[in-house]
Amino acid sequence: MTVAHTLRTFARGSIRPPDNDSAFLLDVHRRAVPTERMARYGDDFEVDIAIVGAGAGGGVLAQRLARQGWKVVVFDAGPFWDPDADWVSDEAGSHKLFWTEPRVIGGQDPVELGKNNSGQGVGGSMIHYAGYAPRFHPSDFEVRTRDGVGEDWPISYRDLKREYERIELELPVAGEHWPWGDPHHYPHSPHPIAGGAEMCVEGARKLGIETRVGPVAIANGAFGNRPHCIYRGFCLQGCKVNAKASPLVTHIPDAIEHGAEIRGSCMVCQIELAPGDGPPRACGVRYFDPDGTERVQRAAVVAVCGYSIETPRLLLNSTSRRFLHGLGNSNDQVGRCVMVQGAPQVAGRFSTEARMYKAPPPEFSSEQFYETDLARGFARGFSIQTVGPLPIAWAEHVIAGGHWGRALREYMRDYNHWYALGALSELLPLPENRVTVTAEVIDRHGLPVARMDYTQCENDRKNIAYAKQTLRDILEAAGAQDILEIDRYAHLVGGCRMGRDPERSVVDSDHRIWELPNLFIGDGSVMPTQGSANPALTIMALASRLAGRLAAKKVQGAAAGGPTRRPAAARGTSP
Amino acid sequence: MAGRDFALADHLPQKREGGQPAPPEELPRQRNGITPQMHGRYPDYNVLDEADHWDEVTRQVVLDRVDKVPEIRFFTAQEAACLGALCDMVMAQDRDPRIPVLNMVDAKMFEGKLDGYRYADMPDDRETWRRVARGLDAAAVQHGVTNGFAQAPTDVQHEIVQAFSEGKLHGEVWDELPCSNAWSVVTRGILSEFYSHPWAWNEIGFGGPAYPRGYMRFGQGQREHWEGAPASDADPVREDTPN
Repeated sequence: MTVAHTLRTFARGSIRPPDNDSAFLLDVHRRAVPTERMARYGDDFEVDIAIVGAGAGGGVLAQRLARQGWKVVVFDAGPFWDPDADWVSDEAGSHKLFWTEPRVIGGQDPVELGKNNSGQGVGGSMIHYAGYAPRFHPSDFEVRTRDGVGEDWPISYRDLKREYERIELELPVAGEHWPWGDPHHYPHSPHPIAGGAEMCVEGARKLGIETRVGPVAIANGAFGNRPHCIYRGFCLQGCKVNAKASPLVTHIPDAIEHGAEIRGSCMVCQIELAPGDGPPRACGVRYFDPDGTERVQRAAVVAVCGYSIETPRLLLNSTSRRFLHGLGNSNDQVGRCVMVQGAPQVAGRFSTEARMYKAPPPEFSSEQFYETDLARGFARGFSIQTVGPLPIAWAEHVIAGGHWGRALREYMRDYNHWYALGALSELLPLPENRVTVTAEVIDRHGLPVARMDYTQCENDRKNIAYAKQTLRDILEAAGAQDILEIDRYAHLVGGCRMGRDPERSVVDSDHRIWELPNLFIGDGSVMPTQGSANPALTIMALASRLAGRLAAKKVQGAAAGGPTRRPAAARGTSP
Repeated sequence: MAGRDFALADHLPQKREGGQPAPPEELPRQRNGITPQMHGRYPDYNVLDEADHWDEVTRQVVLDRVDKVPEIRFFTAQEAACLGALCDMVMAQDRDPRIPVLNMVDAKMFEGKLDGYRYADMPDDRETWRRVARGLDAAAVQHGVTNGFAQAPTDVQHEIVQAFSEGKLHGEVWDELPCSNAWSVVTRGILSEFYSHPWAWNEIGFGGPAYPRGYMRFGQGQREHWEGAPASDADPVREDTPN
């Protein structure tokens, strides 16, 4: 045991992020983010950057740039949540957390949206994600070279490693030492796991499948003014405790402290271009304020962080005489290669009670099947996780097996004896899988809505089938008496991917739209591939890297961006 | 009461011939609070006894489901009769007390609280529900029942719903409405309302809202003192429960 190891173990859970005070800026007695001292900018004041979307990408970008003295305004179509007043410890009552404006789904294998993968409001989809926060593997950035499928990224794992470490400290992430991908430690110790998870860990061990507890973005212990997790199991319904990480509690408070303004319930409908016949550049955003009034905010730089459906939609809806088919779309690339992960769930019935509604849904995981093994008959792989469905989600699981009426009720009455595992299968980027806009359906502002078409390829189907069989094997080895399974999808990435070639991508390696010098995309839509890791941590790491490059003025050709003055000191006193 | 041994799985549909479960009437009658049809797998557990431990916002949302059943405002009387029968069939609610599933669905449709997506070959969810009502009535006619699905004998209703669940309804409405997508839309609505109701939580032994109390005991076979004990765990002589 090395000295470094001993020190790291000793310091676990006690290291405070050096450049993010969010956890300490929250109030001890209420969960809402304090906004009493938040800056307010006029529409005619040219802010340094307007950020569209306050989720994993936008939240981090805002916090980093505000710290560097940029004047930042962040828009989100959904509310600036107050967890005490707005959220409930209830499944059906959490409907408002999701993007419920109309959207259309098509293709051979349509992807259900809404509660499955689409958030709204400050904090984005991380408000209702389970909390898994794994890194991508180094191989994810070069799957074309290694495996002959998908696409290589224009950046590598090395470009993100430092950002991963920073974000893991800020969330913070709890888990055992991670042996897969680039092996690494987590800043917080793993959480206890529930009885059902213990049985499945044992089942996996019998089959020679390694598992590890975590990685979960829930502090193990109090963290600043964020209390300890109470293991109530409602992670997907918004954490009323403030224990689970989301940008709402991990980055927005520090962004506000450093002069950022967050505008909730403001729907951006168009990127504004500077008038005249000079080289095209963005000059602000047009949006509907909470009263429904249309306004324009001037900005030197615009970053779109609306995620894989709304980002393409905003670009495609931003048409003009010079950009008839939308911004960034001269090569017909916007919306293409949108991806979801195959997320089949398999549940097993045990003789003892498992009560899977207790403890956070994310408990342990395995990345033993993450990399390509040609003996399995397909390229790339999958990861294994836990899901802990609450009653409505469990009912959807049961009815997927063809059980309705009395059979459905009986399986539901048996709820407490079941435990569910989930896989995340890496599905490949396909150009035909695409987000477009359809004027046949409009939202409440009269804007054309997004349509998402999705069809799996043969490799995808083989991957999902193999993953399901592996989950069944684990549950049976754990002693399951009966099995129920459901096919589903999880997560969204891609749609505006980064690349080296404008013919095959929407943004360059600095997230900049090929056609404009000052329009950036800072969310998960830039990902060329998705691995079989949950995307939140990587989206945050990408935004963190982008912020670093913008602040250091390393972005080629991005004029105007950022302040000419020196970084502003934090207002007020830091604790 | 001859308690079942729930350590075994022989009451489960996939473990029995014909794929149907053991009759729920063999379970004890619910003794504390209400379950739909009063089946008592956890006969002495009433999640509403815990309402004082819930945060105020959640308590209001959950208690309103019991205390404030909305009137039917969206569906016509004929649609409501047909769809009410569908909800009862899908959830096997063959007698009172029933969870008022259709009233809850109706409120959502009336208020336009939709789920954020619709299939490209399908209309809006509100229109889908209406067309399903027409389609079920038409399917009843094919079985010789001319005054609506709601009036059809139980075995005919069962047969029609079975075909619906398998995507096998044809003719008229169903030639323009993809059957399996429609099944997905209506069951999503039905399940979401039924299993959001505390009576259903009593039946399945779910702990319900858990803020701010949370859980301390989640190891194998562990329960909080207030969580419901299953019927077979209750020793008829000793009144206390295991754990």
